[in-house]
Amino acid sequence: MTNDQILSLYRTMLIIRHTEEELARCHQRGLIHGACHTYVGQEAIATGVCSHLTKADTVFSTHRGHGHALAKGMPPRELMAELFGRATGCSRGRGGSMHLFSPEIGMMGTSGIVGPCMLQACGGGYSAKLLKTGNVAVAFFGDGAVNNGAFHEALNMASIWKLPTLFICENNQYATEIPFSYASGSPSVAGRAAGYGLPGFEIDGNDVVEISRIAGDAVARARAGEGATLIECKTYRTRAHSEGMGDFTYRTREEVDAWKKRCPIARLKAAAPAELSAAMDAIEAEILEMVRDAREFAEQSPYPEAASATKYVYSQTDAGSTPESSPMRPAAPSPPREISFTQATVEALAGEMSRNPKIFVMGEGIGIRGGNFRTTPGLYNLHGPERLCDTPICERGFVGLAGGAAMTGTRPVIDFMFADFILDSIGEIINQIAKMQYMSSGRLTMPVLLRGCVGIGHSAATHHSGSYHTLYGQVPGLRVVMPSNAYDAKGLMLRALRCNDPVMFLEHREILTAKCHVPEHDYEIEFGKASIVREGTDVTVVALAKMVPVTLALCDMLQQENISVELLDPRTISPLDTVTILRSVAKTGRLLIVEETPPAFGLGAEIAAQIADSGFNDLDAPIKRVNGAFAPTPYAPTLEAAVVPTEMDVALAIRELVRE
Amino acid sequence: MSFEITIPRLGWSMEEGIFAGWLKKDGDVIRRGDALFELEGEKALQEVEALDDGVLRLMADGPQLGTVLKVGAVVGYLVADGAALAQTPSDSNVASNTIKPVEKAPATDINSMSSGGSPSVRRLARELGVDLNRVTGTGSRDRITDDDVRATARRESEQRPTINSALAAEIIATPRARRAAKTAGIELSSMQGTGRNGRIRERDVVSQSNAAAPSATWAGGQRISLSGRRRVIAERLADSHRQTVPVTLTSQVDATNLVSLRQQFKAAGETLIPAIHDIIAKLVAGCLRQELRLAGRWDGDAIVLPYDNEIHIGLAVDTPEGLIVPVLRNVVNETLLSLAAESSRIIRKSRAGRLSGAEMQGAVFTITNLGSFGIDTFTPVINLPETAILGLGAIRKLAVVASDDRIEVRPMMTLSLTFDHRAIDGAPAAKFLQSLVAAIENPAARLLMSE
Repeated sequence: MTNDQILSLYRTMLIIRHTEEELARCHQRGLIHGACHTYVGQEAIATGVCSHLTKADTVFSTHRGHGHALAKGMPPRELMAELFGRATGCSRGRGGSMHLFSPEIGMMGTSGIVGPCMLQACGGGYSAKLLKTGNVAVAFFGDGAVNNGAFHEALNMASIWKLPTLFICENNQYATEIPFSYASGSPSVAGRAAGYGLPGFEIDGNDVVEISRIAGDAVARARAGEGATLIECKTYRTRAHSEGMGDFTYRTREEVDAWKKRCPIARLKAAAPAELSAAMDAIEAEILEMVRDAREFAEQSPYPEAASATKYVYSQTDAGSTPESSPMRPAAPSPPREISFTQATVEALAGEMSRNPKIFVMGEGIGIRGGNFRTTPGLYNLHGPERLCDTPICERGFVGLAGGAAMTGTRPVIDFMFADFILDSIGEIINQIAKMQYMSSGRLTMPVLLRGCVGIGHSAATHHSGSYHTLYGQVPGLRVVMPSNAYDAKGLMLRALRCNDPVMFLEHREILTAKCHVPEHDYEIEFGKASIVREGTDVTVVALAKMVPVTLALCDMLQQENISVELLDPRTISPLDTVTILRSVAKTGRLLIVEETPPAFGLGAEIAAQIADSGFNDLDAPIKRVNGAFAPTPYAPTLEAAVVPTEMDVALAIRELVRE
Repeated sequence: MSFEITIPRLGWSMEEGIFAGWLKKDGDVIRRGDALFELEGEKALQEVEALDDGVLRLMADGPQLGTVLKVGAVVGYLVADGAALAQTPSDSNVASNTIKPVEKAPATDINSMSSGGSPSVRRLARELGVDLNRVTGTGSRDRITDDDVRATARRESEQRPTINSALAAEIIATPRARRAAKTAGIELSSMQGTGRNGRIRERDVVSQSNAAAPSATWAGGQRISLSGRRRVIAERLADSHRQTVPVTLTSQVDATNLVSLRQQFKAAGETLIPAIHDIIAKLVAGCLRQELRLAGRWDGDAIVLPYDNEIHIGLAVDTPEGLIVPVLRNVVNETLLSLAAESSRIIRKSRAGRLSGAEMQGAVFTITNLGSFGIDTFTPVINLPETAILGLGAIRKLAVVASDDRIEVRPMMTLSLTFDHRAIDGAPAAKFLQSLVAAIENPAARLLMSE
């Protein structure tokens, strides 16, 4: 190792140490508003690993991430300002200690949730592989993360797809206060690598030179296409888990003192050639000044404008759009070009995949097989296994990966087959994918398309029939799309594939084969624009997905009873087009919301609240809902039929509403 | 023990009244027969008397001056001394009749909603049109059972008019209807709702507004809201116009002897001189005994004839509040002088707006007089459910050809008899008028014959 390399490592470790100690002091003085997890004692690991990374390589980190950010090149000013909650912070004040984003330098974020960073690093690796950039992705995580399913799923995916990814386990021996010796059946993390067919190394985490050597080899292997490496660094944090927390309920003062003596910085200084001593002193003085300046900068920086609190929930940029403007579906030519709902989505996906090489599809059976629901037929032969990637059954794993891939420049399409399976990955979607754009102040975009089948029918029973769309509708950052016909499906799918936001694209299984006229040309349907399926004057019915054709089928019958129904299909529930609904209710004075799913906190409740608020004086009757039963989906046909609204239920509700 | 104070039905067609204020205060000790409150009913402002003893308890959300109330609506309670109103409804078996439990509780009572019952109970409730919030559960943990729903449905079908009345005691209108009414300048209180439980909907406002189209398009001038009495008059006259087949016969009568009879009373030194309409009422009663069908009351599938000694005759009286018809009872049996005293009393009372409901009921025939306004003939409108009405014209001195072909000056009067051709044909009606003419031309003989 050259003197320059030694001084560089020393310098980075010292930046981390002095910044952390200053942050600890600031925390004690109440200048930091939230949590503060310091990296003191573990500096060698981030420093050693990051010494091999370029700005284009990516780092995915944990709640103890200050050191990773600084080692990746974040100036102490930006880190401290972030913890001070200032507009000049690395996340512009939206994140704090556990959400440090600086994608410009490959710092892809720290996370308050244990586990996701490993999956996201797989995504970083997947993007690098797909785009052939030669970049590597690194996950830093603690010993607490290795007993989490994400560890297993990440290492397995990295292994089977030979991802250019480093898994750096910082085994500081306590998951908060739970000893690793208690929490793990095996004393070795590195030893687990063999179980995934990966190389694993156990090294002294306080020896920066050794870390640098092993990590250097791992980075080289990754860049050479030889896949991932697991490195377990045995280390110790010498400050409390979080500043201000008591430390000696689970470990002893003696143990902490013993580890303090093994300080990685002192160790490097002691081992360094004597001629570097003066240079090292000079570096220390320079860094003390740098940290003092950082604190001053942070303190003097302005807080973010309160008015900007909801900015960046959705992408500020877009991949271009040519939306259809009319809320009415155009008249079909004669003869119409009739294709099914699924064929319409395939047309959209196939077209966009050939136009945009950043798109890839992941899911179970979407490769050669072409998808359980024929969502990707023929695409594997056109685009190959990397763009049509069959997955192990690990929804959390590949959804987490998709998040990391989107963060690093590709556009994953996750095909869940049945949307029920989404729930296994719900933390990755709600906590990570939906929030990334916001937490990074719009500097990351998250074009993740999550698609799957929903809906009750054909005795699919309760694990193959859930919708949960209203759950997703409650998540800021997600777009939630639920088409009711092939025409809308194509236009909305194209919009989703070009949109820079994460989109939940839910396809009702009972209408997948329903055909209608679908133009061959490329067209997008804007999100948040309801479709007026049928115009009427007496009652407004808002229906979603399969409930749209169910209701439409009744309209002629009701017309004969002199009940003129205006049928609206919101098409997307997030964003929700309340303007069109309000406009319709202003005309009819009556509103019924028809939804297949249970009523509680549902779309009906949301629409009713909004219309009662903004359209109160237009109402000539109470707002009514038709919903499915508040029950899991049963199997037996008799039971199944009893939990979904039928045509008769809807007809009855409309008649009753007109009588109100 | 408590008693509900409800809006009484003051006339046979009365559905609602306008509350005109309490005559007693909350907490007053009330004896049976005490006047409790004033109500503007079908045709008059009237005092409503207590039917029971007790301490008056008024509801916080009770009626205000001018509130339109359905017959049967509860406006207060008479409770045993010391009892509080809060306990009253639960003490009472007829609590469901009160405005409050029906109106207010369902919307806010979360407990009663949570005890809603099983899906099958709900379905049953839906089928029977029962609001579960009105059902008291008797199952475990107060759950509502099928039987509870059925019992409520039975009870409510028996009490339907009362419950509907109670509901309508306050104006229930949709927001859209309120806005439409405001725009059209229409009072919601003047409207019947066609929605659930009488809820006023936009269409009700629109139809009302269309009916009042001239005022909607004619911007100027003062708007006078219809009083309860005006509305009752309007409805009753419209009903008569819709339901009857009116034919009016007119005939001139020589009033020489009639006028002379009044002179004779004066000459005899009577202080109370019978009015023309008193004498004619007495004569009409005599003629009606001969042709009772003209005194029949139309009753759907039957005509109900009065007993011939129970001929009550209504007198149409013009009052500042509108037309009112007090009733002269037992005209056949009463002497002319006592009739005159009674008619003078009820007419005075009518003009003071103090006529009781009973004093306006039971007429079998009505006499209306426009003669004092110089009118000769007109077409009176039958006062349902009566069969005929007699209009009296002015008495004028006219040149008439006497039986010996001489031209003489005689006081003449025209009678206008409108009869319902559904109930009686032209010939018997004409015969009646003919006999009446004869009676009026020789009143003394007729009167003495009937004494």
